[in-house]
Amino acid sequence: MGTLPRADFVFNNGAEIKTMDPAVATGSPEGRVINALFEGLLRSMPAGEPDSLGRIPMKPVARGMADRFTVNAEGTVYRFHIREDARWTNGDPVTATDFAWSWMRFLHPETASEYNYQLFYVRGAEKFNTVQLAVGDKVEVELADRKTPELFPRGTIRRGILRELILPPKEGSEDTGHKETGSADAVEAISGKAIFVVEFQNESSNTPATETIAYAVSADGSLAGIDELKQSYTGDYSLSNIQPCKHVLYDFNEVGIRVISSQDLEVTLNSATAFFPELVAFYPLHPVHRRCVEQYGARRFTKAENIVTNGPFRLKERRIRDRVRLIKNEHYWNAAEVELESIDVMSIQSETTSLNMYLTGQLDWDTTPPNTMIPVLKKRNDFVSTPFLASYFYRVNTAKPPLNNPLVRRALNLAIDKLSIVDNVVKGGQTPANSFVPPGMIGYEGYQGSGYDVKLARQLLAEAGYPNGKGLPQIEILYNTADSHRDIAEVIQQDWKKNLGINVVLRNLEWGSFLDSLRMGDYMVARSGWIGDYPDPNTFLDMFVTGGPNNQTNWGNVKYDNNIEMAKSEADPATRMQLFVEAETILMEEQAILPIYFYVSKNMVRPRIQGFHANLQDVHPLHLIKIRREGSAVDNSISEDTN
Amino acid sequence: MQLLVFLLRRLGWMLITVWVVFTLSFFLMRAIPGGPLNGERVLSESVRAQLEQRYNLDDPLFVQYTTHLWNTICFDFGPSYKLQDFTVNEVLAQGFPVSAALGILGMTFAILLGMTAGVVSAVRRTSIYDFSFMLLATLGIAIPSFVLASMAIVLFVFYFQIFPAAGWGELKQIVLPAMCLGAPFAGYIARLTRTGMLEILSNDFIRTAYAKGLSTQTVILRHALRGSILPVVSYLGPACAGILTGSLVLEKIFAIPGMGSHFIEAALQRDFTLGMGALLTYTVLLYVMNTLVDLSYCIIDPRVVLE
Repeated sequence: MGTLPRADFVFNNGAEIKTMDPAVATGSPEGRVINALFEGLLRSMPAGEPDSLGRIPMKPVARGMADRFTVNAEGTVYRFHIREDARWTNGDPVTATDFAWSWMRFLHPETASEYNYQLFYVRGAEKFNTVQLAVGDKVEVELADRKTPELFPRGTIRRGILRELILPPKEGSEDTGHKETGSADAVEAISGKAIFVVEFQNESSNTPATETIAYAVSADGSLAGIDELKQSYTGDYSLSNIQPCKHVLYDFNEVGIRVISSQDLEVTLNSATAFFPELVAFYPLHPVHRRCVEQYGARRFTKAENIVTNGPFRLKERRIRDRVRLIKNEHYWNAAEVELESIDVMSIQSETTSLNMYLTGQLDWDTTPPNTMIPVLKKRNDFVSTPFLASYFYRVNTAKPPLNNPLVRRALNLAIDKLSIVDNVVKGGQTPANSFVPPGMIGYEGYQGSGYDVKLARQLLAEAGYPNGKGLPQIEILYNTADSHRDIAEVIQQDWKKNLGINVVLRNLEWGSFLDSLRMGDYMVARSGWIGDYPDPNTFLDMFVTGGPNNQTNWGNVKYDNNIEMAKSEADPATRMQLFVEAETILMEEQAILPIYFYVSKNMVRPRIQGFHANLQDVHPLHLIKIRREGSAVDNSISEDTN
Repeated sequence: MQLLVFLLRRLGWMLITVWVVFTLSFFLMRAIPGGPLNGERVLSESVRAQLEQRYNLDDPLFVQYTTHLWNTICFDFGPSYKLQDFTVNEVLAQGFPVSAALGILGMTFAILLGMTAGVVSAVRRTSIYDFSFMLLATLGIAIPSFVLASMAIVLFVFYFQIFPAAGWGELKQIVLPAMCLGAPFAGYIARLTRTGMLEILSNDFIRTAYAKGLSTQTVILRHALRGSILPVVSYLGPACAGILTGSLVLEKIFAIPGMGSHFIEAALQRDFTLGMGALLTYTVLLYVMNTLVDLSYCIIDPRVVLE
């Protein structure tokens, strides 16, 4: 590989990005790259009045591909108007069709997007993704005639009506398999365990008006999976000629995403969703160029020589686990305001190495200064830090005695000296947490829990039947191997021993194994963290609904679930926030989790960089960054004291 | 002919070794907890099912094994699970030249420095040169590379500001890591050269050479050096292994996008395919290096017979 001169602006993105495909990416490093390469209908920009900390909030505004949008009075129909001068890097205009197609791809079950639930607020979108079909539904069948093994371009699509759905008997039920109604789910459908009888309207006049064909989904054309099902079928349709197909999905034309004209896109929601604009500005909903994806396939379309993008920058080169080189996109509608000609997005794993590079002038922005250095770095004027949208907490496995007793859990929470953890262990300006949702969200005054209270903790523990911790089994704290997590766990271990007389052991696991233990519920108390996707309590609270994939605590509460569900469709902001406050109160009073502290963002930013503002979400749009030409002297002293 | 038989036999053993490494690591990877589809956010049931199907993770283990083995025989390591925009072959194609450049430079540095120091020490035995070189050699061997790297960074990056702290893309970025990588090997080579040289210098033919009136320089370089590097050559095999594994840590400290970085990340992220690709590349590389070293014996010393 040849040598590469330094870009105008160089920053460390932390981890290597998994992909540049907006539809399947997750995580903030991916977000930084994708937001530079692509642009959604709306864009999160600093807008509005500064908050109490003097920060200008990031708001989704029509300064993206859309130059205006309207919402109907009920808050359920959004109409976006795409600006006339929106262009792809190959010169093609960006149209409403591009968005409709990209969102279809995002929602397609075979795309397997982790974030696809973000669009489930759109009418019919969840049904399309999860293949929860019922007899009588309009469906689209993708025939088994794909030209490549890739999902796109898709095979021939036929649209018809589902006349019968034959499902295997559910485990443990007496069901024979023949069902007039009922609902498939994605897992059954993709593994070819269901038979779909679909009726099509024929358009030409010299054939019968309708045609009925039975299909089974099959990856490789074999229909072995449905033999048994076929035998046991007793209904009226002929199953003698079952056709293999790639997918039977809910007809996407029925989903609330409608192209009105090349510039207008109409989106219909299930119910008013206050934070929908936030989602539209969030990177998974950024569009991709259809021809590019279809020509090169899911993996190769992101190569520098193939990719077509619509954001402020374009991809010049990508070196794996080294850097992504971005250059200015001249086709961008707002190119006049983009100052940086080139950006190097570095992926430096070691935090110390990254800091070294910052201190010696190789980086302009370091996103990952090591925790141990924060007390020193905090004194410098190029250290930019502010509370942001993330919580550090411990999950409690509420299925494991004695932790199934809420009194014990509350006692554990009250006996942790969080202030001391923040002041003496993490030392980065974090705030102790007595609730789950971080402060700072507009309109949300969260639950205010009580802080460190040993007396009450002892009393609760006695009430639970363990006076002075007598009879209480040993409790184990699980954390993923890292010094920072160990230090906190040790303090909590001492607190519980000293205050409650509980024996605590620590167990650390490497990240992959740690996640496995968490998922399997093989833990008692486990370290956790959560970063909000958008500034709304929903992004925190909806994870603890009963059986939610990210719940992992075995905790569940009907009232809590109801509140979260009702809040989804509540149009009045005040009522909605009240529902969240009630939910959070339940969560905290039952203490399924033990909140520890709220994060602060940590950024080292060279003083010559302008347009970089601390904010709640710790997002810093790259196209707003400007460089002050003077004063670029490198400051590599780390002992300087500016107090 | 003899050479051909030797090479063919070595090839046969290499294929068996690669197969054993493949099989062991295939099952070991799957025996440890965690998998490529685990992340901080838990996947929904249907997304997990789709991804398992895409990567054939839903097949029975033996089917996965045979498919993966067959693809590997066809030199197709499959898609990387965690670098979704790349196949494993592409990742290795980018990472290998980086590690190779680093390794070759580190090795060159080790040989040049080590042999010079060794020869000087032997010729000027018990002088101050001998003493200080051998002290440095011992230090070089004893100090772990990551400690050496930290010291080098403090000294040459922050104090003297000669070299950049880390990164890859400019020539001067390769110097510090290559030196840190080569240092312990330079130490070994210096000691081996010195011992070999001392032994040779006490031989009769050296006395004869001096008696013929040859200059010290000619005697050392033409007559003594050739015999004294045999122990060094036989050390090159293990040294190559050491350079390869030593670069794992240094690549992280100096943020170098080489094989070591990919290998470590693959193991931590349970990127089975990439981990396997890197592992097999290492295996083949080591095997080839050892074979080359064996071959070079018979060139340097005609008494050695290949078998």
